[in-house]
Amino acid sequence: MDEIEVSLTGSGRGPRSEVLAVGGGNSCETVRSLLPRGLLNSCPAGVASCPASSCPFRSPRWPRLTLQESVLLLGPRPTPSAMEFSELIRTGRAQAKLLRGPEVPPLHGTLCVTGHHLLLLPGPQATSDLWLLLLRSVDSIEKRVSGDSGTITLRCKDLRVLQLDIEGVEATRDIARSIEALSSLESVITSFPFFYRPKGLRLGDAWHFHPPERYYKRVARETNAWRLSEVNEDFSLCPSYPRAVIVPRAVDDDALARCARFRQGGRFPVLSYHHAPSGTVLLRSSQPLTGPQKRHCAEDEELLWAVLAGARPGARGFILDTRSAQAAKQARVTGGGTEARAAYPGWKRLHRPLERGRPLQESFVRLVEACGYLEQSTDCWRSRLEACHWLGHVKEALSTACLAAQAMEREGACVLVHGAEGTDSTLLVTSLAQLILDPSSRTVAGFQELVEREWIQAGHPFQLRCAHSAFSHARPKHEAPTFLLFLDCVWQLGRQFPLSLEFGEGLLLALFEHAYASPFGTFLCSSEKERCLCEVRTRTHSLWSGLNQPKEQRKLRNPLYVPSPLAIWPSVEPQSLRLWQGLFLRWTRPNLQR
Amino acid sequence: MASAPTSKYNSHSLENESIKRGTFFILIDKEVIYICPFNGPIKGRVYITNYRLYLRSLETDSALILDVPLGVISRIEKMGGATSRGENSYGLDITCKVRDSVLSYEGHSRRDMFEILTRYAFPLAHSLPIFAFLNEEKFNVDGWMVYNPVEEYRRQGLPNHHWRITFINKCYELCDTYPALLVVPYRASDDDLRRVATFRSRNRIPVLSWIHPENKTVIVRCSQPLVGMSGKRNKDDEKYLDVIRETNRQISKLTIYDARPNVNAVANKATGGGYESDDAYHNAELFFLDIHNIHVMRESLKKVKDIVYPNVEESHWLSSLESTHWLEHIKLVLTGAIQVADKVSSGKSSVLVHCSDGWDRTAQLTSLAMLMLDSYYRSIEGFEILVQKEWISFGHKFASRIGHGDKNHADADRSPIFLQFIDCVWQMSKQFPTAFEFNERFLITILDHLYSCRFGTFLYNCESVREKQKVTERTVSLWSLINSNKDKFKNPFYTKEINRVLYPVASMRHLELWVNYYIRWNPRIKQQQPNPVEQRYVELLALRDEYIQRLEELQLASSAKLSDPSPSPSSPSQMMPHVHTHF
Repeated sequence: MDEIEVSLTGSGRGPRSEVLAVGGGNSCETVRSLLPRGLLNSCPAGVASCPASSCPFRSPRWPRLTLQESVLLLGPRPTPSAMEFSELIRTGRAQAKLLRGPEVPPLHGTLCVTGHHLLLLPGPQATSDLWLLLLRSVDSIEKRVSGDSGTITLRCKDLRVLQLDIEGVEATRDIARSIEALSSLESVITSFPFFYRPKGLRLGDAWHFHPPERYYKRVARETNAWRLSEVNEDFSLCPSYPRAVIVPRAVDDDALARCARFRQGGRFPVLSYHHAPSGTVLLRSSQPLTGPQKRHCAEDEELLWAVLAGARPGARGFILDTRSAQAAKQARVTGGGTEARAAYPGWKRLHRPLERGRPLQESFVRLVEACGYLEQSTDCWRSRLEACHWLGHVKEALSTACLAAQAMEREGACVLVHGAEGTDSTLLVTSLAQLILDPSSRTVAGFQELVEREWIQAGHPFQLRCAHSAFSHARPKHEAPTFLLFLDCVWQLGRQFPLSLEFGEGLLLALFEHAYASPFGTFLCSSEKERCLCEVRTRTHSLWSGLNQPKEQRKLRNPLYVPSPLAIWPSVEPQSLRLWQGLFLRWTRPNLQR
Repeated sequence: MASAPTSKYNSHSLENESIKRGTFFILIDKEVIYICPFNGPIKGRVYITNYRLYLRSLETDSALILDVPLGVISRIEKMGGATSRGENSYGLDITCKVRDSVLSYEGHSRRDMFEILTRYAFPLAHSLPIFAFLNEEKFNVDGWMVYNPVEEYRRQGLPNHHWRITFINKCYELCDTYPALLVVPYRASDDDLRRVATFRSRNRIPVLSWIHPENKTVIVRCSQPLVGMSGKRNKDDEKYLDVIRETNRQISKLTIYDARPNVNAVANKATGGGYESDDAYHNAELFFLDIHNIHVMRESLKKVKDIVYPNVEESHWLSSLESTHWLEHIKLVLTGAIQVADKVSSGKSSVLVHCSDGWDRTAQLTSLAMLMLDSYYRSIEGFEILVQKEWISFGHKFASRIGHGDKNHADADRSPIFLQFIDCVWQMSKQFPTAFEFNERFLITILDHLYSCRFGTFLYNCESVREKQKVTERTVSLWSLINSNKDKFKNPFYTKEINRVLYPVASMRHLELWVNYYIRWNPRIKQQQPNPVEQRYVELLALRDEYIQRLEELQLASSAKLSDPSPSPSSPSQMMPHVHTHF
């Protein structure tokens, strides 16, 4: 019997959690029966096997979905119509003053709450335009009332802090409640990207910019040791992988199926990057499920053997485990573990522990806190910065990526990277190693492809990791700024190699913002399977088509860029790494252009 | 004296050229073991000329490992004795003013090298001329012509009906550390000036540094008043400050910034100094800026050196950096200068700046405030004039602070005050990447030649001594080197903006250690040579010039078209391709 936690927020009665006990059944009807009546209009089981013949989601292309996924995806609330949003909106409008920082003049006007936005309509004399905030980007909200007015402080996911001074105590309370309810809606398919229809963009554009097939074409030009497998066509082998993955030609789909059963979450080793100059490859996977009995899997061993056989003659391999040797050993107790040396001839295991999960989130929270303090002459800024250890995480991530890149380029070895689930620090290492080695990933288009291929399609759970940013009071459950850490490392590369990246800081800032809250669908959901189920590709706009408009492009490019075929080896000495001021001090930095 | 074929030195065109003309001569040429602080012992060949020491590796591609002007050396010591055992324990230990290096060699006698190095690194102790006086380099621009005080004051709109130029110090008899030409209030007579001089430390009376082009408020600099324990007063000084105040009618008070911490100013009374008290100077407001003295700055920089050399402190880099307090001092200097600039520009009040003698902290504050207020000083030539005026002519004691050619490495007068100023300028250029015509290399070049003794620019303590030594006739100016090859020092992002006041953010969060300067010798930090960024800068500058030229041609063509009564069949719009740049 599984237990899942369903949080029923925004129902007007304040947040409430319920633990549902779920039996083995997985049909539409089971789920329907478990959720409050009337809360579900779409088929969460959404499966070909759904017994309800009327199920509108019935289609052979629809993947099977576990109950947990279905609840996360659709939220405990029903697909709302405009009616239901309005239920959450307590008050239509109020007079308010908006403060956006010490140097920006305050904005006066009428405040409105809509289903997805907070709007401020400036008074008739005002020269400024309408001010708009996506409610999804609110991370935490705090209200205070005194006399006959109130103050709402909104802390946003992009680290901005906004203050609203509102006339009327009741209005303040109502607006605060509405914002709270609407900003914490968890359902994907009722989120703003499903309603966003910007001028000049066509639905469906750019979603086909970066299919795995395209990367495979490039690999196929360089070597014929690999093939594109559609074994995961219906996401049954691995729910967090895309439909098509690149695997050794010598391994057939049946063997892959058995490998998948031997790896956590079904994430069997797949090709991440082929380094043509050295004829070596970078692979990623999750941990093997060796368990306390130290199980083996012949197909998994053969797969890794086939990798070495397909690389340049005499190539060795390194398994880069992003956990400490101790942690990897301990994982056996819970069914995980690591590759036994004897079973994988030619492969050597290295442990490079990278921080993940809660410690990383806490480091992020402490850093943002330190950046938010008002500066006093006595404050020990640098000691405080050191105590957050964020730059330590940057250093570890970069040096592990350097190690992987070095093993490939300098030692001609193949590298397999994994930690436990293989969806966080693993992706951090493989994507950074590609930036170091591969000049094409340093172009604007190449970097977008890298993010799409190595993060979005590779199954980094954005929906969980980026649910909250650094201000949320809620205890972090699944939140972790792994993707932000990646962006910070890329920024450090750009700072150390000012000519090497075609894009500037602007693109990295945009990706940070959109990963946490966005009108585009690109960062929605946690895997291709979920995106497929929600029809993200057909019902939302892609961020890439938004960013690739000529007027946006101009802002994102680096004027110093000169293409170079060389690898870029960053310095990871502490004095070479800087705090990313453009992000962490973005809103508190005094305006120099006064 | 060993002689080697000159072809070995071809990496240095300066040396190459001048060896032909006999400026340089080779003093030493022998094999040694160099104890590299980063990579351990390296077998190499050391060459010492009368200007430079260099060391070429005998192991790896005969790479040039060391290339140090002798002027940079602060100390040479023998290490080990004839009986010392162990590898590399016998040799010379050479310490530099900006970095350390240890040179050691085995077996042979080290005496000749020790003696030659000491003679040429510390010529003053051996009655030898400083290298700048032997340097016969020729440039197609004469850097000594860059600064002409009369022209600079005329650029500022001086003299006017409130301020006059006086030649009272023509022979340096009013104040031997001031320049010959001074700008003083029109209403103060030369006799007044002489009486004020008796009440100011080292006769450094308040004189004008800069005048605001619009509101006509001024920055005036001087030394501390000689108040002493008894709290002496001087009517002439009080009156003189009032005359200065009256040149500005917008605000009824004169603002005095004393750069020192309050306690230090009080303590100075014991040695006859002090500050302007409220009861004696009714119409003035006094603020202390809490900037510490030369000794504190020297020790702070020494700590920076300790954490970056030979190995960078890794595990607690940020907190060790914090414990040096170097960036805190930078912050206080910048904050002080911002206050001065803001008072003059927004506060519309005239400002008087002093510290104790008015040649260290005062020079930092006035020159930085002027850099913030006046965009002219942000051009290459303007910056040269700023240094020449506020630092060199107003008697910052370069000889004492740097110790050119002097062997007394522990001299308490040495202090990196000018380096600190350049660091502040670098911090500003980081925060305003388009505001300065010069790039980082320009600042580093100035600092390199602050120590090198190749040019006469920074020699001696004041103008009167420089004149006596005929520095401008007998040496080459650093600005000759820079101005004859300006493109190397230009910032491609420079956008000229007249009348824009720059207020940098003097917050610890936005100040950074200047890694490219302080840690540039560390091979892990060392940038590629030639630096690809600098090459790209040159390309971009060329591109910009090309576009500007094209634009001018097109403008010319179109104006010719317009004046032509019979338009040609091709319309102007077809002739004008859209000119656009990447910037």
